[in-house]
Amino acid sequence: MTRGTLIYIVQRLGIIVLTLLVVSFLVFVVVHSLPGNAFISQRVHGKSLQLLLHEYGLDQPILIQYWNFLKGAIHGDLGVSLYIRGEEVTPLVLRELSVSCELGGAALIVTIGLGMTFGVLAAMRQNSWVDYLLTSFAVIGYTVPSFVIAALGIMVFANFLGSVTNGTFAYAAVWTGTYGTIGELWLPALSIGLYTSGQITRITRASMLEVINQDYIRTARAKGLKERVVTIRHALRNALVPVISILGTTVVGILVGVLVIENVFGIPGLGKEFVDSILQHDYNVTVGVFTIFALLIGLSNLGVDLLYTLVDPRIRY
Amino acid sequence: MAFAMSGPVLEVKNLSTSFFTDDGEVKAVRDVSFDLAPGETLGIVGESGCGKSVTALSILGLVPRPGRVVEGEILFRGIDLLTIGRDELRQIRGRDIAMIFQDPLSSLNPVHRIGFQVEEAMRAHDKVPRAEVRPRGLDLLQRVHVPDASRRVRNYPHQFSGGMRQRVMIAMGLSNRPEILIADEPTTALDVTVQAQILQLLRDLNRDLGTSIILITHNLGVVAGLCTRVVVMYAGEIVEQGSTEQIFDSPQHPYTWALLRSLPRIDADRHERLRSIEGLPPDLIAPPPGCKFNPRCPFRLERCFSEAPELVRVGDGQAAACWVTMRRAYAEMGAATLTDTRPGSASGVRPPSSAAAGAEAAEGGSRPEPEAGDGG
Amino acid sequence: MAATITPLLEYSGGTLAREQVGLWRDGLRRLRRNRLALAAMVYLILLAIVCIVSLFWTPYKPNVVNTCPTYSLPGTPGHPLGCDELGRDTLSRLMVGSQISLAIGLITAAIVMVVGVGVGLLIGYLRGVVDAIFALVINVFYGVPPIMVALVLYVLLGPGVINIIIAIAATTWMDMARLVRGQTLSIREREYVEAARAGGARTRTILLTHIFPNALGPIIVQTTYVVPAAILTAAFFSFLGFGVPAPQADWGGMAQEGFSPLLSGFDPYMLLFPAIALSVTLLAFNFLGDGLRDAFDPRQRR
Repeated sequence: MTRGTLIYIVQRLGIIVLTLLVVSFLVFVVVHSLPGNAFISQRVHGKSLQLLLHEYGLDQPILIQYWNFLKGAIHGDLGVSLYIRGEEVTPLVLRELSVSCELGGAALIVTIGLGMTFGVLAAMRQNSWVDYLLTSFAVIGYTVPSFVIAALGIMVFANFLGSVTNGTFAYAAVWTGTYGTIGELWLPALSIGLYTSGQITRITRASMLEVINQDYIRTARAKGLKERVVTIRHALRNALVPVISILGTTVVGILVGVLVIENVFGIPGLGKEFVDSILQHDYNVTVGVFTIFALLIGLSNLGVDLLYTLVDPRIRY
Repeated sequence: MAFAMSGPVLEVKNLSTSFFTDDGEVKAVRDVSFDLAPGETLGIVGESGCGKSVTALSILGLVPRPGRVVEGEILFRGIDLLTIGRDELRQIRGRDIAMIFQDPLSSLNPVHRIGFQVEEAMRAHDKVPRAEVRPRGLDLLQRVHVPDASRRVRNYPHQFSGGMRQRVMIAMGLSNRPEILIADEPTTALDVTVQAQILQLLRDLNRDLGTSIILITHNLGVVAGLCTRVVVMYAGEIVEQGSTEQIFDSPQHPYTWALLRSLPRIDADRHERLRSIEGLPPDLIAPPPGCKFNPRCPFRLERCFSEAPELVRVGDGQAAACWVTMRRAYAEMGAATLTDTRPGSASGVRPPSSAAAGAEAAEGGSRPEPEAGDGG
Repeated sequence: MAATITPLLEYSGGTLAREQVGLWRDGLRRLRRNRLALAAMVYLILLAIVCIVSLFWTPYKPNVVNTCPTYSLPGTPGHPLGCDELGRDTLSRLMVGSQISLAIGLITAAIVMVVGVGVGLLIGYLRGVVDAIFALVINVFYGVPPIMVALVLYVLLGPGVINIIIAIAATTWMDMARLVRGQTLSIREREYVEAARAGGARTRTILLTHIFPNALGPIIVQTTYVVPAAILTAAFFSFLGFGVPAPQADWGGMAQEGFSPLLSGFDPYMLLFPAIALSVTLLAFNFLGDGLRDAFDPRQRR
């Protein structure tokens, strides 16, 4: 870890903080301009409504409200939910974050595992039937919307299997409890992962094909190395750089997938919360979720850029 | 250099390699045969695209797709390298026959340390015991004059200069004490001063370790400095071979003769133009019938357009594939005082008439030629 | 623009050089050879025809309920694709849905192209402070998934197809601007631009007649990719419940309606047909984009 790298990390963290400020401010303002309020369901009008608004500080000017929010946020307090009395936003968001991370993490494993394996295989057997099969699979993966894949999965594994085996092997599409078991997790993770793994397969394959023709691969063979060693230690290692460069967008893709799939399967994570909070006009929660997403993306981008230095020794900051 | 009388270490017999492309079969190497004696340095010379690199790659089975060896035998210690199993061939690569390449920057893996890459060459085979790999690696780097080797082992290729990288490649190639080292244009990508150092290094290694060297180059000066015997290739075939002295003092094939003439000389008249060889190398998919050099040869005869010459003995240990040979060219065509080297200029022979040329061209897939101008 | 190598006097081998052709003709030729892209174009043309036809006629009025028993299966007489939970004919709804999905896709792409190209050209050419601001904005917006921003924006604007288009376009134009900016930056250094500047041409003229035409290739490719991205985002919106207001529905909305029956174990056809329509259309646009990209790639020689 050189001094240059440390400086770089500090700079990036600074940018992340700036981004968080801007994003949270924009979202704050926009969300508070949305028509309606969180208390409609409670059917309060007139004076009671005014009291409620005052209690939550919603009758103050926007900037003051934002300032209060910031003050709290620095201490980790993101406010209270407007919809559910007494529920604090921070613990709520953190709990749901861990659920989403579980799902996102599983999707990431699927993405990279399937994506890179298929990419390497397709490149090594270029133009064979294996190549065409895997490439087509990848194309379908990143074109077909994730909810379609999820629906197909449910169709096959829940309904069809259920009717055929009388319910024993059916996939349970409804989550029990907060954290899913592997049995419940695999289909949502696959639905998200197939989409992003398609892009990874494409890039890995293209990158491998370029690397395979390089001179140092010829040198490796001339040294008498086994073919598998050549493929992995020499070719793949060099092919990783372009793959890492799209890792950033892949993470964003996974987050989007998490957003959608959680709503499809009713998984109690950040994605579902995001949609719910908008529908319920629970502004504080919406801003909180948005901020967490931005933080996640910023950190993952930084992580990806640092990963570059590990993989390619020519890159140093 | 006295050779041990134990027979050649490598025998290449009638090697033919082609590339099967969408445009047709490119006959990159045709019927090439030569031997390599133990401890000898053999130079393979020719212009770009003449098939010298492909010949070398064929020996080790490294010809890239869509290329393939189509015929021949390559005998190393009596084993035919073209018929043995893949794993056996893999074992021979790097351990018994090593190859180093032209561009050391692209030939070294940029993401691994060079110490690792040198050691990897040894670990891939069983010749060097585990415990000796690291010290041996260090020793090799020192032997090839990489300064501060113990510290630089941990560096990456991009932290070295071109000459240093090529030394690393040589160290890597020699790490298993192979019997044969094939060097494909090892100095072409380097400055002239560094070239000299690398050649000196190769010479020393050949002398000290007894490694036979096949040096592939288009630079005759390099050949003169290092090799004892020379093979000259043109359009995928051997056109002449012999000892370095024979080739330089009395080349018998017009191509060799023209090549030597084209070298700028320090004692030449200041007003003399550089003497290049007119024309371009032939299309290897549809080469001209007869001798492949006939479109560019000043001494061609009628026979050269219809019959391809075979290698015949023209001296003690020297052979050339030519119907004319320079001996006759000097005697009958005034080659000694020739200034106009355009095709057919000395012999006055033009290609067969346009009609016939048109028919030939149609066969060969090329375009009909315009009427020839004065042939000289 | 044919360039040939004159053969030397008695050269009897084959020729070594190829003729050169213009970039556009070459690109078109390569595109025509790409069978996937051709198939995609055929499909899209057919889709366009269906869409236009549906403006004037559909087998049944798409929003009329009870034209057949609810949840009819495909194959019921008169309703080749079945009916939905309100007895509306699926085929008709599918045809009408194509209007909305395609409209969203194409109009968004058009807006993105106009705005993105305009901004990109200006920023790339003028550089300086404007560029710095742009870079800052881009960096900030890369911090959140555009779909989230679009969602919030859409809720702010209120329901309606036009607002969907605005929301999606507002979060997508930046990628196009970035692309065009990059192109402009490199093209502006070329000699003919310098010559034009030296000749006193106005900025607007330079941008329109020199820089824009030369960047056109990647712009077209990118625009072709924006269409499926927009359709997909709109489908996501619908699926999350934020889509086109009932009773109209785009394909995403139809899929969403078909989802709960699926979850309850009923037949999947209500979801299957719009899902297939969506997927195939998205595939077609992507293949077309790939074909265009390969056709314009200067590195490919054949």
